[in-house]
Amino acid sequence: MKNKTWLQSVLNIYLIEYALSAILRQKYKNFFILSIFTFLTFLLASVFFITNSIKYELESTLEALPQIIVQKIKAGRQDDMDVSAVDEILSIAGVSDAVARVWGYYYFQNAGVNFTLVGVDEYENQYKNSLEKIVQKFDFNNEENIPSMIVGQGVKENMSRNYYKQYFNFIKSEGTLKKVNIAGVFDADTQLESNDMIVMSKDEVREIFDIQQTKATDIVVKVVNPEEINTIASKIRLMYPECRVITNQDLQVSYQNIFDYKSGIFLALFIVCLFTFFMIVYDKASGLSSEEKREIGILKAIGWRVDDVLKEKFYESFILSFFAYVLGIGFAFAFVYIFQAPLLRNVFIGYSELKTSFELPFVFDTQTLFLVFFLSVPIYVAATILPSWKVATLEADEVIR
Amino acid sequence: MILTPEVLTLCILNILFAFFAIIAFVLSVKIFLQWDLNATTQKQYLLEKQSFLAATIIKYIFAIKVPLFLFFIFTLDKISHVLTGAMCAAGVVDATQYGTYLLILKVINLYIFAYWLMLHRADMQDENQPYTKRKFGLFIAAFFLFIAEVVLEGIMFSAIDVDKMVSCCGSLYSSSATSYVSNIFRIDTEVLLFVFYGNFVLIGLFYLLKNKYLFALSNLSFIVSGVITLIAFFGMYIYQLPTHHCPFCFLQNDYYYVGYLIYFLLFIGTFSGIGAGLLPASNTSRNIGYKISLLFNGLYVLLLSLYPLFFYIKNGVWL
Amino acid sequence: MIELIDVTKIYEVNKKESVRALSHINLKIKEGELVILKGSSGSGKSTILSLIAALSKPTSGEVLVDTKKISKLPDNFSSEYRRDNIGFVFQKYNLIPNLSVKENILLPLVPLNLDAQSMHQMSESVMQRFHIEHKQDVLVRNLSGGEQQRAAIARANINNPKIILADEPTANLDEKLSLHFIEMLRELKASNKTIVIATHDPLFFGLDFVDREIQVHNGSLVL
Ligand SMILES: Nc1ncnc2c1ncn2[C@@H]1O[C@H](COP(=O)(O)OP(=O)(O)OP(=O)(O)O)[C@@H](O)[C@H]1O
Ligand SMILES: [Mg+2]
Repeated sequence: MKNKTWLQSVLNIYLIEYALSAILRQKYKNFFILSIFTFLTFLLASVFFITNSIKYELESTLEALPQIIVQKIKAGRQDDMDVSAVDEILSIAGVSDAVARVWGYYYFQNAGVNFTLVGVDEYENQYKNSLEKIVQKFDFNNEENIPSMIVGQGVKENMSRNYYKQYFNFIKSEGTLKKVNIAGVFDADTQLESNDMIVMSKDEVREIFDIQQTKATDIVVKVVNPEEINTIASKIRLMYPECRVITNQDLQVSYQNIFDYKSGIFLALFIVCLFTFFMIVYDKASGLSSEEKREIGILKAIGWRVDDVLKEKFYESFILSFFAYVLGIGFAFAFVYIFQAPLLRNVFIGYSELKTSFELPFVFDTQTLFLVFFLSVPIYVAATILPSWKVATLEADEVIR
Repeated sequence: MILTPEVLTLCILNILFAFFAIIAFVLSVKIFLQWDLNATTQKQYLLEKQSFLAATIIKYIFAIKVPLFLFFIFTLDKISHVLTGAMCAAGVVDATQYGTYLLILKVINLYIFAYWLMLHRADMQDENQPYTKRKFGLFIAAFFLFIAEVVLEGIMFSAIDVDKMVSCCGSLYSSSATSYVSNIFRIDTEVLLFVFYGNFVLIGLFYLLKNKYLFALSNLSFIVSGVITLIAFFGMYIYQLPTHHCPFCFLQNDYYYVGYLIYFLLFIGTFSGIGAGLLPASNTSRNIGYKISLLFNGLYVLLLSLYPLFFYIKNGVWL
Repeated sequence: MIELIDVTKIYEVNKKESVRALSHINLKIKEGELVILKGSSGSGKSTILSLIAALSKPTSGEVLVDTKKISKLPDNFSSEYRRDNIGFVFQKYNLIPNLSVKENILLPLVPLNLDAQSMHQMSESVMQRFHIEHKQDVLVRNLSGGEQQRAAIARANINNPKIILADEPTANLDEKLSLHFIEMLRELKASNKTIVIATHDPLFFGLDFVDREIQVHNGSLVL
């Protein structure tokens, strides 16, 4: 009694042991609660893990996004742009660079997916760091006559599944075939961005999509001072009233909005579930069998205080809910990062059907663990307060008679 | 209006707390008005049982409130990434006119809840339960402060405008700022340090004199002088920048979360000091309170003093 | 030692009905005394025991144990008082059927948070004393009536109480086991415990080591 360690004086091991055996003695009831609760925390944790991953992907993608994009609009649709506009835009004060991009989506019918074809020019500034790296690393003109390309991991898999291992035959817009060698595969920083990407020289892309030499898909503009993006964008709008001018902030906001909207709806649904659960626990915990009541009566009669009973009941609910929490988190980890969240990820990635698939990157965020904790354990414990108090203050005299 | 999952979580828990606090409040009022330990009526027996429920609820709220307070600070830090201009929680606190009051109210409530728990313990250790009326009376007052906190928190989060530029802590906590915070930078450094160390010496003196009221009072003033000196003087040395004073930034990873340790020391030190003075207790347990208070306040002073000292040893100059 | 002063106990069944279980009882029991409470069913014997154990509170009057007023203790303190002073052998034994004998016997000590060694020693010594150690790991629901009885007595003695209360201890035992219980009682009496037994089993009447037999009738003591 005298040689107690600090931990022993704070935690009563025997009381915990008793709480554990009390949980096990009510096997069916507690197993039922444990399953529901584990499922709820699992669902919640999965959603947070998925959104964290996608957010991470999106943020990296958006960072790499050009500051301003200028597109020509004709009959409400995007049309090819004159390359000459580049020089005019470069003359605006504050613009550090303007690049004409040649790119487009190529629909690969056999696999039912879209590839993104991006044209690059060795002697030109690249508008993205990742492209710069690729251009430096690979040589597109190593073999005379046969053009080559660099493809993303997802593209590579899709092609080889259709027996294109060394080269690929593109169908040009007039119907003839164009053979392009696969010169290499690149890993990009993020998968959302580049998994479906094919990089080749601009001339090749122009040929496949039938774009004239003086034309480009769009023009991207780099600005010296990010604060000036909006002013420069409006200047370009004045110069080219027939064009659409998009800034990266516009994109960021629209992405974020879609995203918050979806997780908002989810959380609202979750809260409804949580309160239903609260009621179930309350109901289960307060509907005590006469046997359980007698047990508490006995404990009080042999000298347990009300506080001891309350403590024991607290241990019970904490052990149960914390166990469910750990299980739920564990399952969610496996579900999201090992099995790549089947079904659930489609809710958050609406366009996944068209795009080649990408992996959810592992993003570990301790705050999410706290978040899920606060949304689960305290709420369960709260639901048991009233029922625990009711049994703890039972008249021992009356229940054990 | 800002509605991240973190904010939503805080709101859900606040609603839950409010619901339980109302139950505890109703019971407290009943107990406060009708408690009579000598009565042998059914009513008194019922009240005795209900006092357990009220106490359990209050303990529950406090037990979650402490980690939730840290989570709240974490959340503010996280929101600061969304708000243009903010670098840390300070910008979010300043983003609305309610932030500062909410933060102060939260801290006051923590002290009150902790005090309530100590009172409850003293009450439960005595067969005559001499403080029952007092502790539930205290909770009646604490309830209104608590509800004010919950309401203010809701108002604050709904008042945050994501598109509005806010100030960063660098400009908020600087001598050129216009807010009342900037007043503390007008105080002479010598005066400030004299008050700070003087206050600590006074705490030691009142410990030797064993005067409980003066001891509590000197601890109360140490909260104020401790925080002001931290912002105006020691902060610079923690950041090693003569212009940076923010009381939030050192809660972040870049400073090894040292802020949590700093505030923890100050809270335990001053709380046990105030508790030792005001709580009804035996002489031995009061003595323990004195000693804890002295120890933790001492560690606070030591930890803060080490920053400028090391800076001086390393660079040979003061900031 | 134990003193009941002008004790009345009224059970309120519901708003209108109430049962007067005891009225104006005065009773003094000295330290080391063994007292038998006898009387017909419903006369109030169990009520007296539960008042002494502070399991219920009198409607009026006072209960003193060691000059300490236990009739008006707050709930937590009445539990502590029971834990430190009372060993109660209940009519239905009140063991927890899904725990083993040893676990049941240790139950009163659980909130005390003692170290494992002294817990073990205390349980070993009472289990030996009441001859149940060979069944210590058996679940209580698999025990015979006599074994349950012994487990219950062992549990009542684990905290080495000054006062032992027993309510109809032989109601569920055959004659042989009842006589065995009486032998244990003699041993307890020899260790100078204050003992109060409520029973209407004639086996208890006229025993040589019993100090007093008190007749309870309709909530009053017949002297
Ligand atoms: N919880 C209760 N509520 C209402 N009435 C009660 C309660 N407990 C006891 N009584 C009544 O009080 C009276 C005395 O009961 P008590 O149990 O003390 O009798 P007893 O002498 O022990 O009887 P028995 O020999 O049957 O055990 C009885 O009339 C009983 O019905
Ligand atoms: Mg009876």
